[in-house]
Amino acid sequence: MTVDPNAATQSWPPPEPERRPGAARYLIPALVAAAVAVALGVYGKVHDPAGTAFNLAGFSSTGAVKSWLATVAFFFALVQLVSALMVYGKLPGPRWSATAHRWSGRVAFLVAVPVAVHCLYALGFQSYESRVLWHSLLGCFFFGVFSAKMLLLRSERLPGWLLPIVGGLVFSALTILWLTSALWFFRTFGVTT
Amino acid sequence: MKRSGPLLTLLAGLLVGLFMLSLNATTGEKSTSSYVKPPSSGNPSPSTKASPGTPPARTSAPANPSPARTPVPGGVYTGRTDDDSSAVAITVRDDKAIAYVCDGHNIESWLQGDVKDDGSLRLTGKGGASLDGKVKGTKEIRGTAHVGSGSYAFTIGRTNKSSGLYRANSTVAGARIEGGWIVLPDGEQVGILKRDGKPSPAPEIDPETGAVTVDGQQLTARPVTP
Repeated sequence: MTVDPNAATQSWPPPEPERRPGAARYLIPALVAAAVAVALGVYGKVHDPAGTAFNLAGFSSTGAVKSWLATVAFFFALVQLVSALMVYGKLPGPRWSATAHRWSGRVAFLVAVPVAVHCLYALGFQSYESRVLWHSLLGCFFFGVFSAKMLLLRSERLPGWLLPIVGGLVFSALTILWLTSALWFFRTFGVTT
Repeated sequence: MKRSGPLLTLLAGLLVGLFMLSLNATTGEKSTSSYVKPPSSGNPSPSTKASPGTPPARTSAPANPSPARTPVPGGVYTGRTDDDSSAVAITVRDDKAIAYVCDGHNIESWLQGDVKDDGSLRLTGKGGASLDGKVKGTKEIRGTAHVGSGSYAFTIGRTNKSSGLYRANSTVAGARIEGGWIVLPDGEQVGILKRDGKPSPAPEIDPETGAVTVDGQQLTARPVTP
């Protein structure tokens, strides 16, 4: 392809500077979210569940380890909800509520990762019960929508309703994940360590 | 390209995930046996694995038969019924017990319940099944199970190896699979596999890993704990 050196120069980014980056701003997080969720689901479905994985000292079973880790994540998710309301001024809060929101979110996410790794590695994507099916679906969805939330945070001037909606999705997903796994575990096997 | 915090968070999560995955992949063999061990280990202190996390005030050491606590030593008890028709396995942990009675063909029952302080246990299962037992010494449980119309007396002993009680739940080719296995001290297995509720003799599991092949698909049977 040859370039005409006399052609009129075009401004870059091309006209409509509002529209182009705007679309990418939403499209990239959405695509990444979909890719993460689908990749996790496919891995869980295709990979042969190993059945077991390493256990932590002091716990009687991997189920107990995961249930407690998930409970920690859920606790920090509740902190997330409260601190988010403070950041948005819906609740009176200290000046450091934004910092609290960031760090409690990081902790919740990092604690949830080992649980998900164990789920995917040892158990896989299963559908033999509605509880298990919902847990599998939402587990993939959770990490997808969390990725989207993280990527959206990097954009400026988002519509005001977007982050609360996406954050709410993350929180709801984690809540249902906890209800369908850790709560079920504690009710079935007792609150054990 | 402003804030990098969220990206770092994602990256950290990815790294933790990959690290755990590689840990799982490289220590897969070892961890398998350590996972099998806790519920079925028959060494003198089978609950040590469970107790470090619990506060010391709550002496959850049923292995040391202190009169204050439940005198039934934790672990897996397996054996045949007196009439040799079926096998019985009971897993005891702290004051809870779960049992499986199985003839290897079409009669089976899962039962669970509490262990009383005097060393007796009364477990119940679906369809009115029940099991009454009492610990004898530190290594035996003697009792009777009522499953369906039959009653089975048994005396079963605490196992030392990784033999014990396993179950598996899955779906294979659209059919709901539920399996239960008792691995007897001599290595013999008694198990039933139900496909959509229809019982049949179960294929053998690998007692080390719990791996079993059902209708061409590999499943994992797990040790059962109350």
